[in-house]
Amino acid sequence: MFFYYLKLAKKSLLKTPITTALMVLAIALGIGVSMNALTLNHVRSVNPMPEKGKQLFALQLQTMNKIGTRHTYDDMPMQVTYQDAINIQRMTPSIRQISSVKTGFAIQTQDPDFAPILQSARATQSDFFEMFNIEFLYGGSWGKEIDHSPDNQVVIAEELNERLFGGGDNLGKNIYLNQNSYRIVGISKSWNPKPKFYDLNNGQFQRSEQVYIPFSLLPVHEYPSWGNNNGWGPEKIDTYQDKLNSEIMWIQYWVELENNDKKSDFLNFLAGYVEQQKKLGRFERDDARGTLRNVEEWLEYNEVVGNDSNILVGISFMFLAVCLINTVGLLLAKFLKRAPEIGVRRALGANQAQVFLQHLVEVGVLGFLGGVLGLVIANIGLFILRNQYDGFDVLATMDMSMFIAAPLIAISATVLSGLYPAWRVCTTLPSIHLKTQ
Amino acid sequence: MNNINKIYRTDLVETHALSEFNLNVKEGEFVSVTGPSGSGKTTFLNLAGLLEPTSTGTYELDGINVVGLNDRQLSKIRNEKIGFIFQGFNLIPDLNLFENVDVPLRYRGFNSKERKERIENALEQVGLAARMKHLPSQLSGGQQQRVAIARALAGTPRFLLADEPTGNLDSLMARQVMELLENINKSGTTIVMVTHDPELARRAERNIQIVDGQVCDFTLYQNNKVEAKQAVSA
Repeated sequence: MFFYYLKLAKKSLLKTPITTALMVLAIALGIGVSMNALTLNHVRSVNPMPEKGKQLFALQLQTMNKIGTRHTYDDMPMQVTYQDAINIQRMTPSIRQISSVKTGFAIQTQDPDFAPILQSARATQSDFFEMFNIEFLYGGSWGKEIDHSPDNQVVIAEELNERLFGGGDNLGKNIYLNQNSYRIVGISKSWNPKPKFYDLNNGQFQRSEQVYIPFSLLPVHEYPSWGNNNGWGPEKIDTYQDKLNSEIMWIQYWVELENNDKKSDFLNFLAGYVEQQKKLGRFERDDARGTLRNVEEWLEYNEVVGNDSNILVGISFMFLAVCLINTVGLLLAKFLKRAPEIGVRRALGANQAQVFLQHLVEVGVLGFLGGVLGLVIANIGLFILRNQYDGFDVLATMDMSMFIAAPLIAISATVLSGLYPAWRVCTTLPSIHLKTQ
Repeated sequence: MNNINKIYRTDLVETHALSEFNLNVKEGEFVSVTGPSGSGKTTFLNLAGLLEPTSTGTYELDGINVVGLNDRQLSKIRNEKIGFIFQGFNLIPDLNLFENVDVPLRYRGFNSKERKERIENALEQVGLAARMKHLPSQLSGGQQQRVAIARALAGTPRFLLADEPTGNLDSLMARQVMELLENINKSGTTIVMVTHDPELARRAERNIQIVDGQVCDFTLYQNNKVEAKQAVSA
């Protein structure tokens, strides 16, 4: 009977094309607006590392004195100092952990016709790629020894490889970063976690860097941070070395711990480290401590999905409700106008459930059409967002789940709104319908 | 039908459409129902066709007590045992003849092959097999009523309810439709026909007259001659 109902729905919808178009448009507008808000919210709230989300931890240390403050709810800094990053890594060599910082370069190739391009980059350590499950097209990360013995080696992402060389295996070739020659040791596959959880400073949804260099090169070439440099007290910083020795917090630090026991051990180690540093005259606060937050906790801590985003979703769904209320009115009028036909069908043997289903299928078809048009409207909206505002190119993009969700939401919402009109029609006595002839 | 009452209530008014209504129709009979406007003919037809429930009384159709059955059971009986012919034809205007006749068969759950056979036979029987792809609006009134008869016949019902089947037709068309109904009755289908036309009423085997919601008398006809007239106390 389902296909029979579909056929009847098609006839009915084509019979009143203007009413049908109005209803589809109302549903589509509601779906378009709510899918826009939902997409932005969904991209914000999705766990970018579901497979390792509970093993990767952002490290925080309360290194400030009593005067220093941060804007986090527990007053903890979100980055660590260079000296703490180096210390902790040296003291726990068996644990996989990385320091990283955003920097950037003017990039040139050996091709004299290639115009230099300015590109952000990430100074990090060899384990960065394996920790964050970054795959390679060619080659791999630099060796672990480079984390201690700096060498001008570089990993570039496939998009940059395409841009610099037109793609292909370019391992062993040299590129110039701020006129220093670097040898390409790896070409990574495209990797753009949304949100950019490993560094939420300066744009939580910016694209990942396309150039990765060894962290150990920072003191060698004295590359600047392109991210946040958070100081909390007066310090005399005249040289790059002063910055490395300072209390400025500018390094993102991640640790991989396979289970709760290891996490517990590492927290114990941090407690010991804090005590040790206190004895050395640092970490003056009574609440000085180290904390670990897994990826989900880290995103929540950084309010990646803010209340405003949730409110926006709520408002957009209220708009959808208004659109659907209008649709209910139109449906009711349309269905009741069809009373004589319903009377005939009931007289000829259709029971209430069959009449109810017939109308729900018609409503479902309307919902589907509204959903598809709503997807188009939503994507136009997202396209405008991407082109009007910086940082929306990753955020304002619909993924497959949203593409599937849109028609499903449209169909369910429309079917829900069609329940009353369908119920009204099917519960009226057939003799009443026939009297309306 | 025994002691059937049908009362319509609003906040202010209570209307007794049928009161202590008694009628027994035998299998294979052709009964005409006459009566003045507002006498309760349509209400009787609605109750007989299970289109609305009785207020009190018992109604046995083909051996089944239908009072108190749920919607699904009543719909099944309507679909399998009763055929309807309406004064206004009540064809669905968006469906062609084939699809109109198909409606009750869809709810019966026949497969497509059986439905096709039954539809073609029914339309053949009323002489419209060649026009099955036409829409009702492309037919004359008489042809539309024949389609409605085909629709009623396609499910091979035991009982045909006709509400003024010739009311909207000219005399020639009316005669053709009446002949068709008589042929259907001869093949064994019970027919109850509501009509205002005494001429048509006389062509039935029996005429009952409804006045003020009660059967006030009935007349038996045989070969169009009055054989008996008997008053019935309601």
